[in-house]
Amino acid sequence: MKKKSLLWLFALVLILSAFLAACGGSDDTTSDSGSEGEGSSEEGEPQQGGTLVYGLDAPPEGLFSSAFYGIATDFEVIDLFDEALISYNENLEPEPNVASWETEDNKVFNFTFEEGVKWHNGEELTVNDWVFALETLADPDYDGPRYTNVQTVEGAEAYRSGDADSISGIEVVSDYEITITFDEARVNNLTNLWAYPLPESVLGDVPVAEMSASEWVRSTPIGIGPFKVDKIVPGESVEFSKFDEYWNGDVNLDKIVLRVIDNSSVVGALQNSDIDMISLQPVSGPEVEPLENVKIVTYPGLTYYYVGFKLGKFDNESQTISEELPKYQSKELRQAMMYALNRQEWVDAFFFGYADVVNKPVPTSHWNSADDSELTQYEYDPEKAMQMLDEAGYVDTNDDGFREDPDGDEFVVKFSHYATGNPTFESRAQAIAQYWEEVGLKTDVEMVEVNLYYDMVEKDDASIETFFGGWGTGVDPDPSGLWKSDQLWNYPRYNNTESDQLLDDALDIEIVGTDQDKRTELYVEWQKILNEELPMLYIAELEEIVALNNRVGGVEYDVSGQNSPAEWFVTE
Amino acid sequence: MLKYSIRRLLGMIPMLILISIVVFSLAKLMPGDSLSGEIDPLNTNPEYIAEMREKLGYNDPLPVQYFNWITGFVQGDFGKSTRFKIPVFDLIMEKVPNTLLLGVTALVITYIMAFMMGMYSGRRPYTLGDNAIAGFNYIMLAIPSFVAAVFAIYIFAFQLNWFPFAGSVDILVERGSFEYYVSRMHHVLLPALVLGAMSTASYTQFLRNDIIENSRKDFVRTARAKGTPIKKIYNVHILRNSIIPLVTFLGFDFAALIGGAIITETIFTYPGIGQLFLESVTSRDYPTLMALTMLLSFLTLLGNLLADILYGVVDPRIRLD
Repeated sequence: MKKKSLLWLFALVLILSAFLAACGGSDDTTSDSGSEGEGSSEEGEPQQGGTLVYGLDAPPEGLFSSAFYGIATDFEVIDLFDEALISYNENLEPEPNVASWETEDNKVFNFTFEEGVKWHNGEELTVNDWVFALETLADPDYDGPRYTNVQTVEGAEAYRSGDADSISGIEVVSDYEITITFDEARVNNLTNLWAYPLPESVLGDVPVAEMSASEWVRSTPIGIGPFKVDKIVPGESVEFSKFDEYWNGDVNLDKIVLRVIDNSSVVGALQNSDIDMISLQPVSGPEVEPLENVKIVTYPGLTYYYVGFKLGKFDNESQTISEELPKYQSKELRQAMMYALNRQEWVDAFFFGYADVVNKPVPTSHWNSADDSELTQYEYDPEKAMQMLDEAGYVDTNDDGFREDPDGDEFVVKFSHYATGNPTFESRAQAIAQYWEEVGLKTDVEMVEVNLYYDMVEKDDASIETFFGGWGTGVDPDPSGLWKSDQLWNYPRYNNTESDQLLDDALDIEIVGTDQDKRTELYVEWQKILNEELPMLYIAELEEIVALNNRVGGVEYDVSGQNSPAEWFVTE
Repeated sequence: MLKYSIRRLLGMIPMLILISIVVFSLAKLMPGDSLSGEIDPLNTNPEYIAEMREKLGYNDPLPVQYFNWITGFVQGDFGKSTRFKIPVFDLIMEKVPNTLLLGVTALVITYIMAFMMGMYSGRRPYTLGDNAIAGFNYIMLAIPSFVAAVFAIYIFAFQLNWFPFAGSVDILVERGSFEYYVSRMHHVLLPALVLGAMSTASYTQFLRNDIIENSRKDFVRTARAKGTPIKKIYNVHILRNSIIPLVTFLGFDFAALIGGAIITETIFTYPGIGQLFLESVTSRDYPTLMALTMLLSFLTLLGNLLADILYGVVDPRIRLD
């Protein structure tokens, strides 16, 4: 009952907000609607002073520490007052920030810190704060999800199980120099390593089990970024002010005020200039574009959507794919189902142009992504799809208008999609089903409540046959965690020794050394296989959309996120 | 009366035990758990999730889980929120002031409006004014609160700029200063108006009907015969008698005050119990969810008891034994 009324709520709010926006925009002149790719806001002389209002469309949980946060919303807040020791450029390659490094074998790394970097409480940042962070993550009482980012440091296992008092792979040379040894040489040791320090001066005496609930994480967090937190009103706003002793250059703004607002108010608040910048949902884009005082900036994201096939069953005990499911094993069937989809039309209808059709499971922004010229494009071609189905033996033998399988039995594609309050999910699932029915494949759509859905997908529930999903990838472009046959999150249960071998080789320092081109070659080869085999139908990758008030300047985005808030400014 | 109250309070215990079983079973029957949404290949792995499930006791048999939860609960340990990672008690206490302020303001608005409209209607039944008031009341009752909230924000916050459109306080004012309290009232007024003006119907119509009924009673005729002014008859004699049935509502209001307004709080980004409740359901935050449901059940029972006792206070003819 409640779920149903919630659905109605969202449906009506959407309709209403569309209606309200229509009332608001009296003239239709479109302002600058942003450029493709790397977006930057208006060019102008940076001005000193002023307050910028930063909007969030979901309330943060209040875990304002890089080591403890759980959701992306909290990270958006952290990003305004803290920064990592290492940053990433627009190709997602690591760059020195506070720390620079040297390594000869990708196993032992020597890091050197900038001197004179200050925490917001006035203490100086030293390598000990980093050691403190790494030891916290490796502590058996640590309740966050990031142990995996220290696991590869030599001696981390022993520290966690209590066999050692310190992590043997960490050696402090001086206050500004540190040597970290990993358990083995890997090409991605550096990108995997945890690169945020924790202030030992404030958290040093707090037991690890109590840290995430402590005052320091909840209401008085400190970092090393250009702004410091002045005040937090839980769940609704945060006040930041300029940190005068920021280590890396001048800070333009005096203050940033962060406000949480409900999705239904975003357009109105932008129009009234109540907020200066906010990330938008694709659905709000068309309503914001006509506003004269706001410009939209888009930049490439790291999220892609797909329709997966269940090709097998995973045994969690032995970490292997234990059983093969026969229904979708035919490669021709999968390819025909791909040709039957008009992905461009679908993306335009449901993502309003803020997404691009893809043919591979690696976001285009990653350096190891294969160029489209090397892959089959699977342009919408229902004729070809029907022809392929005919050839593969899927023909209509009993004249019911739908195809039967090669044995002459009824063939029904079962397509599952998750359901939340969002009313567009069902129609977008139906749209996909319709494409398949047009080439003669009978399709049943099932909407499953989102929590249950991922549970069923993960446990290979028999009622999941083809399923809609999305993955967001990080700065490390290695797709092993989602594709190797011994991984729980290889949801299609794709089992191909050649693919596994390529993924292993690309990480094997004996084979690729430190040569990025060699790794790229292997990954491209791997993508060609995945593009041919189609264990899932790749649909689209999303663009990130940001709305900026015209008075805001100096904000730049690339695939690694926003530039340092120190460079932002406002004009009156 | 004391004996009666104690008897009722004791009678609540088995009821609360039953409720706790139902609440627990329903929570656990929901698909997924607090970790099922946490799949993020960037910074977590299946081992971590399996480990956390074990740590949180999700793998224990259900009766064991229930027993663990209820033993802690009875001793005042509501557990730790799986989402916010702080004790549920602290979490609730953080939100209660906001919700109470909103609830009380909305209730005051409802009372004032309902009394004015009810007394007017009761005195002049079946006139144009009475019908207009009834029409207004039922329209307000029929409009869903989220529609009203979205419209109110659009008109009063974005067009007229009278009220802020979200939040419970302006972060830039000094905490504890005079401006701080003004800002809080300023922020609470619009959601309170939406809540308060929407729920006048039951009070108004109840009051109206009772006034009409009482105005035909013997004591009113006697008062008229004595020559008591009409105004005094309505405002004193009749009103006193007509308020009694309204006491029934007080019991319900009591729980609603703390329970908050789920939808209104969410749309106004007003951090209170209602918003917390909704979030705890969607993120399967069992400890928060169960503590809130138990709290609300308890308050409803207590509210009913309070209403029964108040009957005895306002109307000596009713004896509680």
